[in-house]
Amino acid sequence: MTIPDTVQGSILLSAIDFFLSFLIIWGIGLILYLFPYINKFFTLDENKLKSGH
Amino acid sequence: MIDNLSSLLWSLVDQTGLMHLYWGNLVMIAVGAILLYLALVKKYEPFLLVGIGFACIVANVPGSDLTKPGGLFFIAYQGVAELIVPPLIFLGVGAMTDFGPMIARPSLMILGAAAHLGIFIALIGAKMLGFTIAEAGAIGIIGGADGPMAIFVTMKLAPHLLPQISVAAYSYMALMPLIQPPIMKLLTTKKERAIVMEQTRYVSRAERVIFPVVIAIIVNLLLPPVAPLITMMMLGNLFRECLIVDRLANTAANEIMNIITIVLTVAIGSTMEAQRFLTLQTLEIIVLGLVAFMGGTASGVIGAKIMNWFSGGKINPLIGSAGIASVPIAARVSHMVALKENPYNFLIMHAMGPNLAGVFGTAISGGIMLALLGVK
Repeated sequence: MTIPDTVQGSILLSAIDFFLSFLIIWGIGLILYLFPYINKFFTLDENKLKSGH
Repeated sequence: MIDNLSSLLWSLVDQTGLMHLYWGNLVMIAVGAILLYLALVKKYEPFLLVGIGFACIVANVPGSDLTKPGGLFFIAYQGVAELIVPPLIFLGVGAMTDFGPMIARPSLMILGAAAHLGIFIALIGAKMLGFTIAEAGAIGIIGGADGPMAIFVTMKLAPHLLPQISVAAYSYMALMPLIQPPIMKLLTTKKERAIVMEQTRYVSRAERVIFPVVIAIIVNLLLPPVAPLITMMMLGNLFRECLIVDRLANTAANEIMNIITIVLTVAIGSTMEAQRFLTLQTLEIIVLGLVAFMGGTASGVIGAKIMNWFSGGKINPLIGSAGIASVPIAARVSHMVALKENPYNFLIMHAMGPNLAGVFGTAISGGIMLALLGVK
């Protein structure tokens, strides 16, 4: 299905886009909520990184 | 002899720009002068407006060949039109940006979506004015307040509108300190503007390094149409956060960014020729762009007000307007408005979270729009 080139089409496009934008942003936010767990498994020594080249 | 001399002089005069100057050029030279005034006297985003204003003036002096095929400004414009410049800007932005505030407080990311209602108000408005749906989509994306993304989406949907859309996007981004505060004040109470937010958590180096890799994977998987921009931003950010290639991070954030800013601003300014620019369509796009910016600011503040109610008064609604993107201008505006209510309220780091989420919000909206309209 393609979006019709009408005012109704623009409203439909806006509604789908706005809803999906929320959904994807929320999904990224959800992944970021898990980020603190990275620290339980993985650490990086900043001093070693800075002197690594 | 006298006839020959007179014809020679006439031919000499004809070769100058004077004979081809018309009132439209004078209007656009005045517009360029106003942009320079705003940059130099009012200090509104001088890094953008000096180049745009100067190139606008030069583009409207008929004798100049800089904007004609083969001229340096014309070649600069090709870099924009061929979509070479926008990903390089994103590389620099990524190398300059600390995504820590967004990683530390993911709940505020939703404001990056809330502040994009303006895109859709402008999109529907443009369609009602008779633009095609592809043109309306390109006009709507002005409301994403993200110049490179506006250029990228416009080149895919309606390349013939690039001059008007890029000028509107960059001009309004530069004028955000004028556009946003009245709307922010109108939609918030004095008490809300004075809310001091809690300190965010510490974000470790490992989180900072993994973040750009994860985002690059997500964006390439879900949003291939806009993946080039976000991928380059994440590469720049990885350069910055891994600490081991600081020379690359510095080059992306400074030398490349500065060179690309010169190229971009003269390219945009050089498209502001009166013959192409002084049309009713331009006026409509400029007005719709303003509506998009104002709508996005309002929806962002309202979104933050709703979050504030749910959080029991812990979120300053002023950070909502930063969700419109335009990093870091919009976050700076939130901070400045908050400072006026409470001189000890440093809101900038809190506003940076929604501000950075706004970049993703614009990219996601643009990507979905391109996918729904069947553009790759």
